[in-house]
Amino acid sequence: MDAKDILGLPKNSFPPLEKKSRPPKESQRKPDGISREVYALTGGLAPLMPAIEASQLKKKPPPLEKVTWQWLPFTSSARKDNLHLYHWVRVVNGVPPTGDYSFAKYNKSVDVIKYTDEEYDKYLTDPVVYQVVTVGSRLTSITRIGRNEQHDAFLFLLLLLASSLGRDNFLCGALALLFREMWTKEETDQLFDLCERFDLRFVVIADRFPSSRTVEELKDRYYSVSRAILIARAPSSGDVAAHALVKEPYNVSQEMERKRALSMVLSQTRQQERRDEEVLIEAKRIAESRIPPKVAEEPQLVSSNAGAEATERAIPGETVSPSNAQLSSMVAPTPLPDNASTLASLRMLRVYLRTYALEQMVQAANASAGLRTIKRVEQTLQDLGVNLKPRVPTKAVCAEHLELRREILTWLNLQKQVQYKEAEGSSFRDGSYGETPGTPKLLHRGGDQDRTFVPDSINFGAERVGKKDQKRKAPGAPSAHKRPRKLKASDLYASQERIQGTEKASCWDMHVYKLGIGIPDIFESLGRDVEIGQDCKNQLSEPHRTPFVDYSALQNPCQKKNKYLLETEEPRVE
Amino acid sequence: MYGGDEVSAIVIDLGSHTCKAGYAGEDAPKAVFPSVVGAIDQMDVDESDNGEKNSASAAESKNNLKNDDSDKAKGKRKLYVGSQSLGYRRDHMEVLSPFKDGIVADWDIVDSIWDHAFRECLLIDPKEHPMLLAEPSSNTQQQRERTAELMFEKYKAPALFLGKNAVLTSFASGRATSLVVDGGGGSITVAPVHDGYVLQKAVATSPIGGEFLTDCLMKSLESKGIMIKPRYSFRRKEIRPGEFQTVDLDFPNTTESYKLYSQRVIASDIKESVCRAPDTPYDESAYSNIPMTSYELPDGQTIEIGADRFKIPDILFNPSLVQSIPGMESFTEIAPSVRGLPQMVVESISKCDVDIRRELFSSILLAGGTASMQQLKERLEKDLLEESPQAARVKVLASGNATERRFSVWIGGSILASLGSFQQMWFSKSEYEEHGASYIQRKCP
Repeated sequence: MDAKDILGLPKNSFPPLEKKSRPPKESQRKPDGISREVYALTGGLAPLMPAIEASQLKKKPPPLEKVTWQWLPFTSSARKDNLHLYHWVRVVNGVPPTGDYSFAKYNKSVDVIKYTDEEYDKYLTDPVVYQVVTVGSRLTSITRIGRNEQHDAFLFLLLLLASSLGRDNFLCGALALLFREMWTKEETDQLFDLCERFDLRFVVIADRFPSSRTVEELKDRYYSVSRAILIARAPSSGDVAAHALVKEPYNVSQEMERKRALSMVLSQTRQQERRDEEVLIEAKRIAESRIPPKVAEEPQLVSSNAGAEATERAIPGETVSPSNAQLSSMVAPTPLPDNASTLASLRMLRVYLRTYALEQMVQAANASAGLRTIKRVEQTLQDLGVNLKPRVPTKAVCAEHLELRREILTWLNLQKQVQYKEAEGSSFRDGSYGETPGTPKLLHRGGDQDRTFVPDSINFGAERVGKKDQKRKAPGAPSAHKRPRKLKASDLYASQERIQGTEKASCWDMHVYKLGIGIPDIFESLGRDVEIGQDCKNQLSEPHRTPFVDYSALQNPCQKKNKYLLETEEPRVE
Repeated sequence: MYGGDEVSAIVIDLGSHTCKAGYAGEDAPKAVFPSVVGAIDQMDVDESDNGEKNSASAAESKNNLKNDDSDKAKGKRKLYVGSQSLGYRRDHMEVLSPFKDGIVADWDIVDSIWDHAFRECLLIDPKEHPMLLAEPSSNTQQQRERTAELMFEKYKAPALFLGKNAVLTSFASGRATSLVVDGGGGSITVAPVHDGYVLQKAVATSPIGGEFLTDCLMKSLESKGIMIKPRYSFRRKEIRPGEFQTVDLDFPNTTESYKLYSQRVIASDIKESVCRAPDTPYDESAYSNIPMTSYELPDGQTIEIGADRFKIPDILFNPSLVQSIPGMESFTEIAPSVRGLPQMVVESISKCDVDIRRELFSSILLAGGTASMQQLKERLEKDLLEESPQAARVKVLASGNATERRFSVWIGGSILASLGSFQQMWFSKSEYEEHGASYIQRKCP
């Protein structure tokens, strides 16, 4: 049916087509031997040239050989007996596979040197000869000939002690130590036997060794024996010089040292580690606090230091830091450590830093002022040549500084008030502002006065855009601070165009504009985003703000604007 | 298989609680049954009226046999092996274990267990199959020789190998070096394996095993007044649809050991399903009001288990808790020398050579039925982090599958026996005949 569509054949078949339709219909039937889905992959049509005949797909390729699997016995060359185990074998044409067991090649072992008895007697005995010199009944010297001298000192002392004390058991103990160190033939044989069995896994060999010798001792004995045999058997010394054993002999003492260090590292538990760390941190802090202090707080410092040391164990970290903090702040009038814990601990010791107290008081004073005001205060201070923080923070100096700050603040606030009052006054006088439909005539009327006033409004207009959020005031504000009310002519005209350009402004714009008029500081001191619209009135109706804005004008924005627009500029009092 | 070559070996792991047997190359044993037998003394018929022959224990009657007291000295014991036979209650049937303190004491029982495994469970003829047996990590030479004797003389196996439990577990997880914590029924063994060999001097064992915990649980429940009724002692009748009535049956001839055995079966089921290792050391006050879990006993009784859920597993970590369980005072004599599991691990590692300690710490394997307890791995890791050195990274590994954990020794044996390169290591019958049983020490390190 689909094919018919594809082929474009008419659907209903009339007799002459019926015959024709049958062959295509035949071809549409799925040929046997292929599943329906696979057939559908070809598009539902038989391929024009059948690539693979369907019946071929099920036939297996003619087997080249006859393969059966049989359960047959096998032997392995890796075994010394002839154990026959059975396994499945792939038999091809009746011929089982020949050759050794395929896994026999994995049977590898280490070449352990085998020595004969004569060789042992000749080269490998472990003679430990002590030359003991006695004067009277006291030992005067012991020299040892033979193996490593590492234990010499210890044994010497022991023997000396034993002889001087005249104690036999000491002596016996020392001699026992001596003998224990010696390697007998049996032990050496055992060692080599184990080495061969365990393929030089010394850890396991040490575990299975009948007497308890350490891994280093075993290794030492094995390597020295092998080395001796190698050298002895070599026709000339040059032949074996390149052999690894000869070139680098096994260094027992170094190995023992290494193991001792490793065991020390590994024997510290986590709790110990933590305690060690704490102690180290404290030690560092105390070391830092030992810098000699400069200022009057020294007695306090010393006492707190002593207190810190005393309470070191009890409260690590906490008490040491105050002394440190004090010092660092004493030494230089740098900003105080703003670490809360430091200050907390300071208070704990009932020590107060003058600068800290001063800063607090300054902050308290500035709380009512707002960021920009603070900056202006500081600017003023700098202009006057006064450091922002007194260099010598004595009581009198700090008091004076604070006073000065307060006075500056007050002065600035008063300045502002004067400005706004004047602005109010001028706006009432001029009464032209061009943004609302009602205002154009006002604009035109007081054109000159507009011009004069516009600088003010422009300034604020520039800030108007960003009045909604205080952030954007910031770029505008510094410019206002730095060059308050001094505008360039270009600003003037640009903003004037802006103002005049907008014929229709929403009430919202007006309010924003109004609120933006010259009172960025109000926003700052309000410290919050002023809500536009009806709320403005509420916010602005805080008592101390009243001199700045005439709230009755809010009812009639147009008029209000007129007032402001008419305000004349006044030079700023510096 | 890439490195494998099946020779149809049989792997048998005779543990203190269960015996596992099966074909090498498979991933789970075919035959798993308890490694205790029921024994009924069968003296000759004339003796039968001789009082209920001190049904104390079969051992005693054996002593009687040895002493030749009775005229009919040739009493035999009929042994019943397998969970099916044990499940059926018989008069005078004693339950005996071949082990005593972890080593084999009674070879007849071992023989009968093997016989049962071969002929009734696996249905094989031992003559045709090499045998791989798992032995405890601290087995003595004498025990091994005895095993070899029994296997070659009686069962005529063509080849034999004895592999230590710890090594087989290590191979089951694919490592040659590890520290194996094998928590079996009878004991817990901590054994380090290095390069495929157990370091025997560093093996630590503790008698607190799964069965010990089961006993503690039983005593604890008894002290709370809960009596666990063995399955044979009651019958439930359906009076009305959905309602059952329990009728107590009385069998006066049941031995004490059988009763204990049946109760243990139920208690160990409670333990396996309810108990969890606590995250912090057990504290009476802290766990005094935790929500109870309910468990239904076979006789229909529902019991509530609260603090015991956490107290019992914590005995592994803090053996002194046993003293607070009434009825277990007999343990207090051995208590001082028994340490908790983390201490055993650290002790065992410290006895090893310094160079391999780090590697051991970072591959600690858990195996055995007791180690399949929930949260045990996390708790052990946490405790070990405290006690282990800073420089070593502690990692406890356990296969997620609980079956694998239980049978990890057997699985290791199965892997080993089917490796191609293992086939050269068998201890064959001809070698046994040539060198004697003591040669096994060389062949099976």
